Amino acid sequence: MTELEQFLTGRIWLRDFMPFAQKEVDAAISAGKIGIKKGITENKECARCLEKSPQKIISFYCANCQGICYYCRHCLKMGRISSCTELIYWADPSPNPQSPHSFTWNGVLTNAQQRASDEVLESLSLNQSHLVYAVCGAGKTELLFPPLAKALEKGQRVCIAAPRTDVVLELSPRIKAVFPDTVVHTLYGGSPEETGFATIVVATTHQLYRFEDTFDVIIVDEADAFPYSCDPSLERAVMKAKRSEAPIVYVSATPSDRLLKEISKQSRIFSRFHGHPLPVPRFQSLWNYKKTFARNKIPILLTRWIEDRLAKKEPFLVFFPTIELIEQVVPLFKMLNERIEAVHASDPGRKEKVMKLRKGELPGVLTSTILERGITIPNIQVAVVGADESIFNASALIQIAGRAGRAPDFPAGDVVFFHNGIVRQMDKAKRQIISYNRGEFV
Amino acid sequence: MNCYLCERVLPFLPSWRGLFFNDFQQVICEKCKSGFERISGVVCPMCGSASEGLCKDCLYWETTEYAGLLRSGTSLYYYNEAMKDYLHQYKFLKDIVLSEVFVSELRNELSRTKAIIVPVPMHPHKMKERTFSQVDCILDAAGLSYSHYLTKSEQVQGKKTKRERMSTPDLFFWNGRAVPEKILLVDDLYTTGTTIRHAAKELKKAGAVEISFFTLIRG
Repeated sequence: MTELEQFLTGRIWLRDFMPFAQKEVDAAISAGKIGIKKGITENKECARCLEKSPQKIISFYCANCQGICYYCRHCLKMGRISSCTELIYWADPSPNPQSPHSFTWNGVLTNAQQRASDEVLESLSLNQSHLVYAVCGAGKTELLFPPLAKALEKGQRVCIAAPRTDVVLELSPRIKAVFPDTVVHTLYGGSPEETGFATIVVATTHQLYRFEDTFDVIIVDEADAFPYSCDPSLERAVMKAKRSEAPIVYVSATPSDRLLKEISKQSRIFSRFHGHPLPVPRFQSLWNYKKTFARNKIPILLTRWIEDRLAKKEPFLVFFPTIELIEQVVPLFKMLNERIEAVHASDPGRKEKVMKLRKGELPGVLTSTILERGITIPNIQVAVVGADESIFNASALIQIAGRAGRAPDFPAGDVVFFHNGIVRQMDKAKRQIISYNRGEFV
Repeated sequence: MNCYLCERVLPFLPSWRGLFFNDFQQVICEKCKSGFERISGVVCPMCGSASEGLCKDCLYWETTEYAGLLRSGTSLYYYNEAMKDYLHQYKFLKDIVLSEVFVSELRNELSRTKAIIVPVPMHPHKMKERTFSQVDCILDAAGLSYSHYLTKSEQVQGKKTKRERMSTPDLFFWNGRAVPEKILLVDDLYTTGTTIRHAAKELKKAGAVEISFFTLIRG
């Protein structure tokens, strides 16, 4: 396999943005090794992200092709695709390179994990999709190691897709540690260039736009957002990136009704790997908290909660519904303790602040929903301000509550939903957590 | 519809004005809009940047062969982070719909002018590469008519130092069409003023009498 083939196998890439010499690419095209597709099809669909809504496929007079052209706004940030740009793919794929993989993991699975792991293995051997429905802190990643090892042994190409870069960055080193001889690529917006043929691709779901008909197994992590009601193109990306018959393993703590209904093979784990129950959230009214903040005061009950954490030196996260509210109240919290920090999606210092919180260098962090999943800090205490706001649906609240009590040394943790009136989603979240603890399913 | 810049859903605000006037539709949200900072207060009478009296750059230009070319100039916005992001998405990611973002502002500034609007042109190669002219497109979006009297030469301004830019040879050539007396040159970004002055010089040579300019952004 040439480097060019390694790169382009299973991919669909803008011809003008290839990280190879133009001569080399042109030669492979004339030799019939590389195929060419129009960027936007005759049906006005983007050939990369499969978008076709007229709000996203925009017509314009193109100075390049001297006529009416269409471009796709949906995947614009990956380099603009228009009718007269060309996408290329490896037209003549060799079989996956067969290199030996080693599997160096000597952890022990709990009984529940082991059972789920075996069930996933069985589904994959039958080429069937599978749903792992497991609570936050059940140890979902570990139970996937044996099925992953099996897939590699069979010479399959595997993708692990997660909705967010943070999750990808957390997963990738764990996968690399367990499969040290395997080429693993980590792909997200702005990720450094990788080389070789990746047998395992750990990527944000967005990056799958750039793959086509290549993966023999796809693991969709944090699949509760799946089928991604906010962005249906991501589901299409998963479907496009895998081979047509390839199974999908969905992993979620809060799967959608549709997933629960459509995927017949399921494994359920409702206890944490350390065996302790999930912390159950308590509701605390914080009437007219917005007005109190507007008067530059923190509501007294919230002040007491923060002061309590500070006195006990327990790290804490306070979730807010909007970035605007966080920005408004940060100075007030800094008066309680000046080292309290705020974190939100576009904050470049996000990773460092979380790291500092973990090390105990920060007493607590105010955050938007961006930290609702994927982070583990021992003995963390959690509060949600405005839990009645619509951005906090039941699954978001379950994820947030799931931050607490993850470490075996601190299996409990306070989870408070401060609200301005209890709403159904809060009730639903609490009921669901209680039912998990009883080992049943609502 | 969603904001062109942050993809948040734009709230539909019904108003009497909206019912009776065929206003242009908002394409970005209030939050994104508030990121753009208008130039205000006392400005340089020649180039419109924030300055009391002639600014340093214009004082320098007035000592060169380009002295007295420009009657006045206006720029609307500072080149802040939000504006850099906007221009990046528009020009380099080639998101043409962004030509609609400043439609009302452009109409307010330019629809009553008696001068003929002349966009600063792009080199044909550059135009083919970018697939559109960013200046023509914002004027088209605002429904403003314009005419071209200039052709761009090979020179590229963007990657030069300030000194180099201020002393480059001619950037434009007259295209031979009869030039009107009053001209309003329009460009997206004014940085050192070289582009505008080169264009003005060529137009004056071709017969223009009174030349002003307008740029969306002042770098």
